[in-house]
Amino acid sequence: MAKKGMSRRDFVKAGLLTAAATSLGPGVLKPTGLWAAQPKIKGPVKVGYQAIMFHKMGVDMAVDEINAAGGIGGAKLVVEFRDSTLKKPQAIKNARYFVDSWGADFLGGVDSSGQALALAPVMAQLGKPLMVTHAATEKLTEREVFKKGIKEIFRISTPVYQDGNAAAFVAKELPAKSWATISPKYEYGYTCWAMFKDTLGKLKPDAKFLTQSWAPFGTTDFRAHINTILDAKPDGLYSVEWAGELIAMMKQAAQAGLFKQIKHVMLPVGGAMDVLEGLGSEMPDNIWISGRYFFMYPDDARNKKWVAAFHKRWNHYPAYVSETGYSAMYAFKKAVEASGSKEAKPVIEALEGMVMESPAGKRVFRKADHQAMYSVPWGLTTSNPKYPFKVMGKMVVIPAKACFNRPPFEGESCKPPFKS
Amino acid sequence: MGRYLPHLIVGLLGLVFVAIGLFAGRFVLYLTMRVMLLSIFALGYNLLLGRTGLLSFGHGAFYAAGSYGMALFYLHVSSDPLLGIIAGLALAAFTALIIGFFCVRHTEIYFAMLTLAFGMMVFSLIWNLRDITGGDDGLVGIGRGPLLGFSIAKDSQYYFLVLFCFALTVWLIHRIRSSAFGLILAGIRENPQRTSFAGLSVKGYRLAAFVISAVFAGLAGSLGAMLESNTDPFSAHWTHSAEPVLVSLIGGLQTFSGPIAGSVIFVVLRETIERFTQNWMLWFGMILLVIIMGFRGGAMGAPERLLRRIVRKSREEGAS
Amino acid sequence: MLESLVHSCLAGLSTGMFIWLVASGLTLIFGVLGVLNFAHGSFYMLGAYFCFTLLSLMGDNFWLGLAFGPLCVCIVGFVMERYFLRYVYHLYLPYQLLLTFAFVLIFDDLVKLIWGAGSIGSPTVPGLAGSVLITGRPFPTYSLFIMTVGPLLALGLWLILEKTWAGRIIRAASSDREMAAALGVRVPALYTAVFVFGTWLGAMGGGLAVPYVGLLTPGMGETIIIDAFVVAVIGGLGSLKGAFLGALIIGLLSSFGTRFIPTFDMFLTFILMAVVLLWRPQGLFGEAS
Repeated sequence: MAKKGMSRRDFVKAGLLTAAATSLGPGVLKPTGLWAAQPKIKGPVKVGYQAIMFHKMGVDMAVDEINAAGGIGGAKLVVEFRDSTLKKPQAIKNARYFVDSWGADFLGGVDSSGQALALAPVMAQLGKPLMVTHAATEKLTEREVFKKGIKEIFRISTPVYQDGNAAAFVAKELPAKSWATISPKYEYGYTCWAMFKDTLGKLKPDAKFLTQSWAPFGTTDFRAHINTILDAKPDGLYSVEWAGELIAMMKQAAQAGLFKQIKHVMLPVGGAMDVLEGLGSEMPDNIWISGRYFFMYPDDARNKKWVAAFHKRWNHYPAYVSETGYSAMYAFKKAVEASGSKEAKPVIEALEGMVMESPAGKRVFRKADHQAMYSVPWGLTTSNPKYPFKVMGKMVVIPAKACFNRPPFEGESCKPPFKS
Repeated sequence: MGRYLPHLIVGLLGLVFVAIGLFAGRFVLYLTMRVMLLSIFALGYNLLLGRTGLLSFGHGAFYAAGSYGMALFYLHVSSDPLLGIIAGLALAAFTALIIGFFCVRHTEIYFAMLTLAFGMMVFSLIWNLRDITGGDDGLVGIGRGPLLGFSIAKDSQYYFLVLFCFALTVWLIHRIRSSAFGLILAGIRENPQRTSFAGLSVKGYRLAAFVISAVFAGLAGSLGAMLESNTDPFSAHWTHSAEPVLVSLIGGLQTFSGPIAGSVIFVVLRETIERFTQNWMLWFGMILLVIIMGFRGGAMGAPERLLRRIVRKSREEGAS
Repeated sequence: MLESLVHSCLAGLSTGMFIWLVASGLTLIFGVLGVLNFAHGSFYMLGAYFCFTLLSLMGDNFWLGLAFGPLCVCIVGFVMERYFLRYVYHLYLPYQLLLTFAFVLIFDDLVKLIWGAGSIGSPTVPGLAGSVLITGRPFPTYSLFIMTVGPLLALGLWLILEKTWAGRIIRAASSDREMAAALGVRVPALYTAVFVFGTWLGAMGGGLAVPYVGLLTPGMGETIIIDAFVVAVIGGLGSLKGAFLGALIIGLLSSFGTRFIPTFDMFLTFILMAVVLLWRPQGLFGEAS
């Protein structure tokens, strides 16, 4: 009996194709395009995706689009979701379930940095590529991929470089001299603030860093933190609080008159849609926000078309996790079709150095650390009658090349600012 | 014949576990290891809860002590797994001795609250002493060096170390329960005053039970650190401390095998529920309700009673 | 410096009043029924979500939401006591705790199912949305409102328990169940009533929290319940007066701790809890029995 999922006609086609390819000689042994990859991919391409549940909109869209357009090299794309719950043991169990029980070819998602780091050795053991779409710790790519050589890990979203380094480039141009922070009391908060201080200190040696107030995970009452900042009287506030915590902090800061006293506020993840929608008109104007993607950038036809399609389907504008999830599916598609296989090794090789077009613009997977290089804007909040929430008005784009740390990630020459 | 029934059951179960180790796929292997770790944790814990009658909401702290002790030893001293486990056990025992010294002054709800407070202090320390513990990232890259010359790097090899520790735990707990010490613990649960009139130090025995249960939690923790190759600060959180309570309760507080059956049910049930729905907590909560409202003996309550009756009957027949 | 101290105090007092709103119900239920209710945090969460939904349905009228939201949660509390908790009062402690814990799991997931796993930003209250200047720094009017509601609630509870016939029965039943039953008090009905009232207090806390925190999240009950536990323990389990003062202490400790000793603020809270349990298990303000 023929194997499941492959009819006799497929076999014939495969045979013909192999014969054709061989007869054509080495020059065309690696054919591209639709017809080339078809015979080698047996059965559906299966992706196991774990994230907080409301992140799946972008993935759902990509799956429907890809399958409507003939799948990945003719094979159907199938995605299974599991709630990551932000807990490490759950993330590990999910990954093992996906690969060893469900039969996933690739994994995607992962929200927290702790989970991503815990998954690194597991992925090395499971031997399947994982495309991280949210977790931002630089240790994942610098240490686990580059130094320890765990080739299975890739990241399609921007890491903390965007939150720390890029923010420093923006802050350099502002008149603010002294800075303070309210940030999460865990590694993500510590890392971003350290990076911001370090880079801004180099770009602007007279910058002063006055105080830091750390808020434990799940903080809802930021009044004591806000008082700490108001007492220190800095010119600027930098905060990597995110999601619900950021919403709560912004509302409480407005009540305490923080935005009247502090004119320069930078929120590296303030451009997330859940925050902008959650705050609505309560988000003040002239706040610097960013994210891993913002739906108004790049201002090109491809992105606009995607945003319109997304809005039509979900009645929401795409959040950055929607874009990274969506693009992750297309990254797998491109790598599978380029290598003509869904096996881990050729796909990893195809992904290394791969260039892909995506709604967020051109992404290049840096070979050394498997980090996708693409630029995300920083922007000042403003009202726009077209949207029921604040959006970016003036935008500043710090190119990824200028603000991402560089291999071999040792010593000062690997951190921005770079001479070239 | 019936008198040997328990031995027969234990032997058969042992065979099942060995067979899983030899033939099962990687995911079943992994889940079985998680079951065994939770069993070790809960078996030790039930010595305190079921036997001595003390409800602790802080045993996650000792699990964490075991895993951080093991991980720190691996990262800074040596990759020998045996020494690593011993380091984990030592740290767990030491932590338990200090915390237990204070906690055994109380019983009931006050004991529960006190252990909750100490457990959360440990959690806070792990979270904040970032230079030592890695903060919320935990310690990562915990490897498995060779054990007495044998490689345990692969899951299929490591499985047998976990199985050995699990079997050892079962045997030790069985011995402790049937020893004079175990009987005194049960006496303390039923009537602390009578025990103290008998000239025994109730606090001393409680402390001993506390530390012993913590050592088993530490064993589970150090094995867990090697299994997952990282440590997790949330293992000291009270929500993790609630796990052995749940498991003991599901299996049956007053039984010996309850924690094991409870662990199997907890892990397998959760895995099954997760395949159908994203809302496993909802279903698990409802199942818990049913158990508490209707089956308080736990899953093993009735089977163990039946088994005891068979053994007694056959002994009586043998004697007459 | 004065400004800083004054505002740290104010922030601490308003935080404390919040925890008091939640801890009052927890303490009342423990004092009378002897059950430490893990699900009390869920009542807080459900109160917030119900208030939010009702106020959205009723033209964004916060007061209508606050009036009816907690009443809906009372139905949940009634079902929980009448059909579940009632059957475990006589049982071993773990069964009671785990029964309430099971409800936490159920409520958490139900909230995610009904309202979604993300957080929801909530509207402000007209008339209380502004701030007043205190020592030159704006302080939210709504916080002042909470700081008035808290003591009023304490006063109300005191009046009910000390000065009314119902209060005397409650006190009688909490100190000796059998005696109260012998005197003709329908204890089971009384327990249900007290539990439902405690539920209402927790849900009110949640409803009032909606504009104070500014958002609703499915995990919001979990953070507050631990604070409420700490407060209930520090004040003395079952003592309402103790819970009120305990809430003030924890509020001030967290405010000043965050401001002046930020690294170990959580550690401080729990060490205080442990010290009180060891030194005065009846609580800082409870009477030794």
